[in-house]
Amino acid sequence: MKASLWLLGTVFLLSSAHTLGLRRCLIAMDMRHVGESFQQIKGAIQAQDTFQNVTILSASGTLHSIKPLDVCCVTKNLLAFYMNRVFKDHQELNPQILRKISSIANSFLYMQKVLQQCQEQRLCHCGEEAANATRIVHDNYNQLEVRSAALKSLGELDVFLAWIDRNHQGTPAS
Amino acid sequence: MWLFYTLIPCLLIDEVVLLPAPQNLSIQSTNMKHLLTWSPVIMGEETIHYSVEYQGEYESLFMSHIWIPSSRCSPTTVPECDITDDITATVPYNLRVRAILSSHTSAWSILKPPFNRNSTILTPPGMEVTKDGFHLVVKLEDLGPLFEFLVAYWRREPGVKEHVKIVKSSGIPVHLETMEPVAVYCVKAQTFVRAIERHSAFSQAECVKMQGETLPLALALFAFVGFMLILVVVPLSIWKMGRLLRYSCCPGVVLPDTLKITNSPQKLISCRREEVEACATTVLPSEELFRT
Repeated sequence: MKASLWLLGTVFLLSSAHTLGLRRCLIAMDMRHVGESFQQIKGAIQAQDTFQNVTILSASGTLHSIKPLDVCCVTKNLLAFYMNRVFKDHQELNPQILRKISSIANSFLYMQKVLQQCQEQRLCHCGEEAANATRIVHDNYNQLEVRSAALKSLGELDVFLAWIDRNHQGTPAS
Repeated sequence: MWLFYTLIPCLLIDEVVLLPAPQNLSIQSTNMKHLLTWSPVIMGEETIHYSVEYQGEYESLFMSHIWIPSSRCSPTTVPECDITDDITATVPYNLRVRAILSSHTSAWSILKPPFNRNSTILTPPGMEVTKDGFHLVVKLEDLGPLFEFLVAYWRREPGVKEHVKIVKSSGIPVHLETMEPVAVYCVKAQTFVRAIERHSAFSQAECVKMQGETLPLALALFAFVGFMLILVVVPLSIWKMGRLLRYSCCPGVVLPDTLKITNSPQKLISCRREEVEACATTVLPSEELFRT
């Protein structure tokens, strides 16, 4: 009885530490600026999306079902998805839109560096559900022609940013 | 033959050789405002234009051929560029500048090493500490949306703890505390930039003294003296004014010298009796006339 209580307490403490670790991961992230940058190009990007009935991020099915323990891993994977595929596959010619996409991409790079620190501290474990969610996003992307897929994913950035904001609310600066 | 070889460079005039690349690129960054400067390119009286481009770490890693024109300085005619709006992430940025004269362009000069905005110099914030009645109010320098402030304030007495207030917007007066009378309060502040996780140093403490609830002694004395003066001066003035008005409206009558009586009243009365008897003898026949 005592052993099971002790085990339960340890699991609870570890989960809290893990969750707090996740929250500490993005404390320095200025998400407001990234959101503002996207809002300025959202209309132009989404207007070019011709596949209205398809979604890449599958927000209702994929992102909303992510458990707190998987948030760090899914965030890391989706950041890599955007940086390795979406931003590279999208060929932007308009200098003003290019500036905003560059701002978002470099902000994502910074976020990835912060999460990398968490990963080195073993605070960013990737379980099966996180891997499944990442695979769904990549599969959705692969089903479309590259440029259309990249454009659609860019247009869904507000969904990703809102999800990050909800799951990584920063604690007050110490 | 050797003459031909020495003439080759003159025959193959390269645009790059004609227009030198800008030199001495450097960045001054204070409170998250970043200014790129370089030595001006001089070509006689010609107006040289400059073009500035940047490349974040993302571009340098994933698409190194992409350089983005600076929002304010492509082109510019001065040898400096405010790149604050271009440096929007806390990663190293490559920056390059070239000179332009008509259709000729120089080679690119690249800033070495790349610039990261977390190297900006953070200075203590300017602040204005005021009293609004009994309220201690502070107004902080407006440094932009990236800045938050930590304001420390305390009553200057031994053993009193320091309070800390986090202020997220600048330029607007912030109420710190309701002060107690006859006390000295001190305030100091520092900035915090969440994007680079750094604080500035604290500013010099500014102290204000809260006055007591009873009037200071000097003020009370002054008020008493003034009151007494008013109590004396006003009636005196009224009386004087009254006299002035009376004499100006109804001046006193002055007898001429010939009518002035110098004898005593008894002699005047006895003189009058003699006159009456003389007047009575003279007057009688007239009365007898009236009777008949």
